[in-house]
Amino acid sequence: MVAKKSGARPWRGMEALLLVIVTAIGVLGFTLLAVGIQVQLKQNPLATVPAALLPALLVGASFAGIHILLRVRRVALEPILLPAVELLLTIGLLMIWRLRGSSGVWQQLLRGFIPGMLLIAALILRPHWIELVRRWAIPISLFGLALPIATALFGVTDETGARLALKLGPLPAIQASEIIKVVLVIFLAWYIEREGREATGRARPLFGWLRLPTLRYLIPGTLFVGLATLALVAMSDFGAVLILGAIFIGMLYAGFETRIFAAIAALGLVLALLMGVVLSFTWQVPTVIQYRFLAFRDPWSSQQIELNGQPSGVTISEGPGYQIQQSVYALIAGGVTGTGLGFGSPEYVPLAQSDFIFAAILEEMGAVVGIAVLILFAILLLRILRIALLLPPQQVFERLLLTGIAIHLFTQVFVMVGGTLNLLPLTGVTIPFLSLGGVALLVNLAEIGVALALAQRLEAEPL
Amino acid sequence: MDWISLNTLLFAGKWLLIGLIYLALFVVLIAVRREMFLRVGKKELPVVSALGRLKVVQPGSDVRLHAGSLLNLDSETALGAAPDNDLVLGDRFISGHHARLHWDGSSWWLEDLGSTNGSMVNHNLCLPHTPQPVPTGGLIQVGDMSFELQDLSS
Repeated sequence: MVAKKSGARPWRGMEALLLVIVTAIGVLGFTLLAVGIQVQLKQNPLATVPAALLPALLVGASFAGIHILLRVRRVALEPILLPAVELLLTIGLLMIWRLRGSSGVWQQLLRGFIPGMLLIAALILRPHWIELVRRWAIPISLFGLALPIATALFGVTDETGARLALKLGPLPAIQASEIIKVVLVIFLAWYIEREGREATGRARPLFGWLRLPTLRYLIPGTLFVGLATLALVAMSDFGAVLILGAIFIGMLYAGFETRIFAAIAALGLVLALLMGVVLSFTWQVPTVIQYRFLAFRDPWSSQQIELNGQPSGVTISEGPGYQIQQSVYALIAGGVTGTGLGFGSPEYVPLAQSDFIFAAILEEMGAVVGIAVLILFAILLLRILRIALLLPPQQVFERLLLTGIAIHLFTQVFVMVGGTLNLLPLTGVTIPFLSLGGVALLVNLAEIGVALALAQRLEAEPL
Repeated sequence: MDWISLNTLLFAGKWLLIGLIYLALFVVLIAVRREMFLRVGKKELPVVSALGRLKVVQPGSDVRLHAGSLLNLDSETALGAAPDNDLVLGDRFISGHHARLHWDGSSWWLEDLGSTNGSMVNHNLCLPHTPQPVPTGGLIQVGDMSFELQDLSS
């Protein structure tokens, strides 16, 4: 008689298969890319293949390591998160190699990928770190709030006049706007868990059916978002403001039983946006937003841009519209299956390695791969939300953390893909796992680590 | 290798890449289908042999508990808000070291440890530092929370 296996059985066979397929995609992709670039240069096609295979193999080996870790820990669930992340990351690295060569790829790997994977491994081995985050939510929030304020005051100004990076001594620059988003998720999860039931219980009836919460439950959250928004506006990082607003509304909606909180927040955001639009057309100060809107309406417009009331001699099609035009041309050049890796010209799109990486993917790998990328993001978000739904209802903090992570990833993808395709006004944010940016990748990998750590609280058995 | 065959290879490679990416998506679909035949739930905590249990009747403002939660009791169980208690309770009207539940071999006793808001057994306020007997099924109220005592000693 065979003894019945007891305890959680790891269901990770599919994950192993998927990781092998994705690593094969990486190896094939990097080979094609290296050969393609050399053919374009009319040089020996195989000369750079070994150097190009190195990052593909490193990524494959790291994910295999995490997979073994999950098997050792006997984690039964989530066979899809890791392969989906690896595939997105591989496609992103291919495009970074194409645009920035090996130095860009190694910068991404060393600053974002390797620390991020170590963090995932640590979170899987020490799932109680999430409890520590819950306990230390206030210091974490204050630190996260201090970062963008410090950046707004002392940050390094880049060529477009936006202060986005904080440089402290010899350390690599820190993108505060990437960190504040995840800190807001932690803060709101902690705050809603603490006050959620109280706020709902003490809500006052208004007109009999609308239950209005007492004002004091609105203040801390609004204050946090308000301060962060002010700092980000001072940094002129409007993309991050939009993401913060979306996280705020989404988490209030998900967390509180009274829907009025989210309604108030949404109304506030819409009013702020409308006011921003009206202000940008009547009052000359936030010209960035005004020209973003005009460029969205017609990227080929020959309207003159005015700087401080003076005509600058630059039209919209030469200025803010240029990026969008190039991105649309890249999309047309790519067609359904793309020009082939190394055969397009994505370098004509400004910032193609970070904000506009989706345009580069569409040009060289085609719409089929672009759609596959969007499907992968959809799968990733649904899997994260699924863990949140399966966790027991008492674990409010953990469930809200996962919800916030999903909202964060979704809005970044939505805003940036919309901007790339000229379906939304352009705001500069990174696309998770694809764009060049060490801190952004580190934060996104840490979020996947949180999901995997929380998946350990679940178990599965055959029906 | 001449240039024409290299171009053919690159063309084949491009389609192979697209094929592999969609193969990965297809395998993801299969993995999701497999999960349909799994029962997924939260991990059950290992069952500890307990002398008694507290069934939560009213969780107060402790968000970690809900009505019907069961808390295991030892022969000595300290209740309070401070983290060194055996049962750490998150209600806002619970003192740091609120009360102590004790099994003397035949019955349960609740001793209030001088808490700010007091403890009640079956709606009778306990004197501080004076153990009160708690009958099986008795109602214990501390802060805004209330529990029903279940005896498992037999």
